[in-house]
Amino acid sequence: MKLLCLLFFLLILPVTLSAQSGAIEVTAPGNRFLKLAVDAPRCTDALANPATAKLAVDVLVNDMNMSGLFSAEGRATPAASREQLLADFNYTPWVTAGFDMLVKGEYSLKSGGLTVEYRLYDIINRKMVTAQRYHGSTKDIRRFSHQFADEILRVITGEKGIFTTKIAYVASHTGNKEIYVMDWDGGNPLPLTKNGSINMNPDFSPDGRDVIFSSYKRGNPDMYRRSLSNSSETLISNRKGLNITGNWSPDGGSIALALSKDGDAEIYTIDREGGHPVRLTKSPALDLYPAWSPDGKRIAFVSDRLGKPQIFIMNSDGSGVKRLTTSGNYNVNPRWSPKGDKIVFSRLSGSGFNIITISPDGSGESQLTADGNNENPSWSGDGRFICFSSKRGGGDGIYVMRADGSGQMKVSQSKGKYFQPVWSRR
Amino acid sequence: MKKYWVQTLAGISMCALLAGGCTNKGVKKEDALASGVTSESSDAEIARAAKAKADAEARLREEAEAKKRAAAEAKPVEIVPATDVTDSRREALNSAIAPVTIGNLFETVYFDYDKSELRQDSRDVLAKNAEKILKSYADAKIIVEGHCDERGSAEYNLALGERRAKAAQKYLTTLNVKAANLSIVSYGKEKPAVSGNDEAAWAKNRRAELAVIK
Repeated sequence: MKLLCLLFFLLILPVTLSAQSGAIEVTAPGNRFLKLAVDAPRCTDALANPATAKLAVDVLVNDMNMSGLFSAEGRATPAASREQLLADFNYTPWVTAGFDMLVKGEYSLKSGGLTVEYRLYDIINRKMVTAQRYHGSTKDIRRFSHQFADEILRVITGEKGIFTTKIAYVASHTGNKEIYVMDWDGGNPLPLTKNGSINMNPDFSPDGRDVIFSSYKRGNPDMYRRSLSNSSETLISNRKGLNITGNWSPDGGSIALALSKDGDAEIYTIDREGGHPVRLTKSPALDLYPAWSPDGKRIAFVSDRLGKPQIFIMNSDGSGVKRLTTSGNYNVNPRWSPKGDKIVFSRLSGSGFNIITISPDGSGESQLTADGNNENPSWSGDGRFICFSSKRGGGDGIYVMRADGSGQMKVSQSKGKYFQPVWSRR
Repeated sequence: MKKYWVQTLAGISMCALLAGGCTNKGVKKEDALASGVTSESSDAEIARAAKAKADAEARLREEAEAKKRAAAEAKPVEIVPATDVTDSRREALNSAIAPVTIGNLFETVYFDYDKSELRQDSRDVLAKNAEKILKSYADAKIIVEGHCDERGSAEYNLALGERRAKAAQKYLTTLNVKAANLSIVSYGKEKPAVSGNDEAAWAKNRRAELAVIK
């Protein structure tokens, strides 16, 4: 049997290596979702752990269903013979069951570690599309499923998925507003602050390794930077008054934020250490919540210079200010899509806050939510998804939806109040 | 995404390079034939071999680099969570860095919805507060805290609360309270005075409070 396994890997691994990047043609008739089965991974040693195998399937199925490309379902392993795992894998039952694609896998729990191998099969064309092996410990099983989900998106669309990315957010179940980070689907929530104060508006650096946020821990709303891999925090802006709503520039070199050191809230840029402040807005109104365009050339922001808060766009040197939103009388929380084609924001009307997308030229407004209060939208790095906080009948929490508003799903897992989610770029 | 394209582009350019190399060889051979040279010179052969070797090495390097990049990309950030702090330790930490204030010494000033202008009753309250400051707290450091009701965005309310605090601060200075002794902070809608989702609660939360800094 060991020899068989060895043979198997010798056969499969070269295939993995030769799998070239690029989209493959997998078209489902009638523009329906691709039907994907995720088979429970098979244990290759005596240490089978059904809970691990089930979690692996559940995580992958959830990612694939959220992708908007697949209708995925987890399948208990059919009583198949050993041979079916090998090169002469029998596609016929899967064809008969109406599946377009299939994920099979194996795992081993030898000597405290976890090794997982996933393989994606194209049932229609009867071929393996991609395969990946991951080594780690049992706690990594969620990450391995997310990694393979990213890989599936890569081979299907030509662009890697975002299922290994993180969402940072504010929650208040401790009685204080602290900052946390979790997997996109709510898994592995971890606290980033525990200072017992009010912490607000986290934002990831473009490389996903640092988070900036504002905190009252020294009495004033100052801005801090914290590396995810180091719990110490660096104070980067404690200028007099507000140091709030920081948004990291796409090149990671500067941070746009609102400071009120010269009177009322105005938009400035500072470098990542907090130095070299450059004032971009000069108006007696409140200007805040800057949002960089992905090319770094423009900044959207909120201003009440016309009476009520509306969204404006300016060049990143402060010139060429133009009003973006002309409908509604309370539009806030802009965030520019990673592809640059849309700006998402939230609008307060009689029915509460709702999430809306609009083109940067002000056309094509589209309301994505309709239930309850929905605030602080943030794009996933591939622009396919938007996370936001919601207070609604279906439960308060952090929600995720596709960029067209479909597939709205609560991802935060505990009860309590959640605020200001932000999606890491990678 | 960017990296992926870089890799793809690198792959494409590598193919183009190799293809270009082949074409060149073909051209050279034709030239040699045309000029009547029947046997290839050993120099050209050596050069070709060297070029092929260099190409192969470059390709290997490129592949190794691509692998390294992919590995770096796949490597997840190890998140170090915030450490647990006992309540007493936290109190000590926070009191060391955040000012401690005494509230409830002065009357609260109230505002209209989405407004920071002082109403007549607010001016009256501030006049009383100014009198008390001049009489009993003439040299004390006083902080004016601006607050909002729960409606509207948290961020916009931070800026609005600051406007309210500033309006109160400015009026106090016109009543001869030393500007140097006054500072402000906005809490937006983060610290409501009362809970509730009706006008009665909102009216109590749109306010400016004065506190003495210890």
